[in-house]
Amino acid sequence: METSQKTWRHSPGWRFTVMTAKFFSVTLLSGAMFLPFIWMVCTAFKSSGEVESPHFWPHIAKPENFGIVLRMVKEQFSGKFLDVFLWKWIFNSLFVASWVTTLQVLTSSLAAYAFSRIRWPGRDKCFLVYLATMMIPGMVLTIPQYQIMVELELVNTYRGLIVPAAFSAFGTFMLRQFMLSIPSSYDEAAEIDGANHLQIYLDVILPLAKPGIVTLAIFTFLGNYRQLLWPLIMIKDARLRTVPIGMLTFQGQYGSDTELLMAATMICIVPLIVLFIFLQKRLVRGIHLGGGVKE
Amino acid sequence: MSLLPSDQRERKNLAVALAFLAPNLIGFLCFTAGPVLLSLYMSFTNWNLKPAVKLEWIGLRNYVDLLSDPYFWFYLYNTFYFMLGIPFTVAGSLLLANLLVGRMLVGTFKGRATYAGLIVIVGLITCGMLFAGGSKDAALLLAVLYGAGAAGLLWGSMTYRTLLYVPSFASGVATIILWTQVYNPYHGLANNLIQWFYDVCGVEGSLPMWLISTKSLLGFLPLPDMFHSGFGLGAREAIMIMGIWMGIGGNNMILYIAAISNIPNDLFEAAEIDGAGSFGKFIHVTLPQVAPTTFFITIMAVIGGLQGGFNFAKIMTNGGPAGTTTTLAYYIYTAGFEELRFGYASSVAWVMFVFIFGLTLVNWKYGNRRINFE
Repeated sequence: METSQKTWRHSPGWRFTVMTAKFFSVTLLSGAMFLPFIWMVCTAFKSSGEVESPHFWPHIAKPENFGIVLRMVKEQFSGKFLDVFLWKWIFNSLFVASWVTTLQVLTSSLAAYAFSRIRWPGRDKCFLVYLATMMIPGMVLTIPQYQIMVELELVNTYRGLIVPAAFSAFGTFMLRQFMLSIPSSYDEAAEIDGANHLQIYLDVILPLAKPGIVTLAIFTFLGNYRQLLWPLIMIKDARLRTVPIGMLTFQGQYGSDTELLMAATMICIVPLIVLFIFLQKRLVRGIHLGGGVKE
Repeated sequence: MSLLPSDQRERKNLAVALAFLAPNLIGFLCFTAGPVLLSLYMSFTNWNLKPAVKLEWIGLRNYVDLLSDPYFWFYLYNTFYFMLGIPFTVAGSLLLANLLVGRMLVGTFKGRATYAGLIVIVGLITCGMLFAGGSKDAALLLAVLYGAGAAGLLWGSMTYRTLLYVPSFASGVATIILWTQVYNPYHGLANNLIQWFYDVCGVEGSLPMWLISTKSLLGFLPLPDMFHSGFGLGAREAIMIMGIWMGIGGNNMILYIAAISNIPNDLFEAAEIDGAGSFGKFIHVTLPQVAPTTFFITIMAVIGGLQGGFNFAKIMTNGGPAGTTTTLAYYIYTAGFEELRFGYASSVAWVMFVFIFGLTLVNWKYGNRRINFE
């Protein structure tokens, strides 16, 4: 009995059955996970009268919904343009997130270099203080940070969104771990050739740390693009809103117009999906815990 | 390298290091270290943005008020209640990772492409017939499944990893707004599906009111009045289900895939020789081998969970109904930025920090004891 079971388990028939079952289950599961998105796309094309019907497929497609949320077509009942600026919001988000990513990579990699490639008294203790602050919840910092921004008169500006996010203990930590795994023979060789630290940083370490830097850049960009709390506190001006805040106000004003809300939501998800298609391989192939140059 | 003694050399390096550190250090002092001290100080004052209130040192009064405030305990309970979703997310991620760790590629690319093409053709025919026959919804949903199946056959597990990762990647305000509509009790997707299920089974059942209901699955517990709200699916479950949807195929799944593919193959072979089936291998090899990853994920999830719930509350419910979806994070926001009681809000933030610190410590001790096979 046991031997026959064992051979069955190794037979091609068993492997085929297992593989088929696997394919069916993950296909069904991915389909189920996509259900909300499919529903969103279908609802975005419905007319306001049809939103209440449980069908997915709109009987009469109404692509004007997209024109309305993009302010190209006037809203039917009020005869006015909606109070939404999706393009501007998307631009603001991309603008702020790009600046934050650039600055954070710059400051973090410089600091990580000092923590990993230069020997100086008190280095490791200083680094521990950095690490410890990562445990403090963001909420503790938000209130005083806001007070500081009020004092610096940066409330309601792009700079108010960019400056506090340009420094990160997490980024420093991540890049330091990455740089530690780069063999020290590289910079020793450069030092013998008479390179100073700035040259070593620019010409040796930065190119070698590129995978780590790219990962940090992705994390930073996404995290910033999604951020809700900080822009919500900082931005009062409708034209300076980022996508999350813009969508929030749009929901507050037009929350009852489900089809318009879904059309706008769809437009806001599209940049993320485009970004995802570009980064898909890097993200899905594997994120390495702690980072490191794989030999 | 240098002829200077190491001590002198290190001191010389200090200046260089400071130059490298300066940009980050200035930001760190202004936006992290400074605010930490400032908020600790604020939590002992009656700091209030209303001009009529004069700033005073009030010692521990905020903390005493806080601990005797029943709402604080209610919001703490909510925070922990939401965290009950974490085990489901982590377990789901692990199971998915276990399914998707292999490449799932059968035969040659040419062979796979042929079969995938066949699936597409069959799909086009069936869906076209269904569509023409009037069942447009069935055609649409089947088309999605056929598409996923064909792509899955062609590119293997990469397809599914990508598909399952999208909800987590696209998560943000837009996705949460999408879910707010999904939970609309009258025309949302969730209740449509439940109603459809009822119709198929031929039963009459009541539909949950989701985001406007105070019920909860722990509603039967003999808790004080405020906590007690009846048994059923309510706003808290709605948010938990959405959280699981967002988290299950995200970074945790990717981390688990990396961890499982790093397990040496001879461990699985040894288990097979000992007669373990795929379930046995999962329990006796995979589970203990990925324990460090589980440990890391749990710590991050607990830290995130205690600070979490702000986005959901702000976008979906405004903390309601009756405060059932208000977490500590949202409470800090309302107390600070809506009621302008910054001193009090800071003290809540510091109590939250104590909880995070304590739980991380417990995790650390317990986790490190469990993971000692190396």
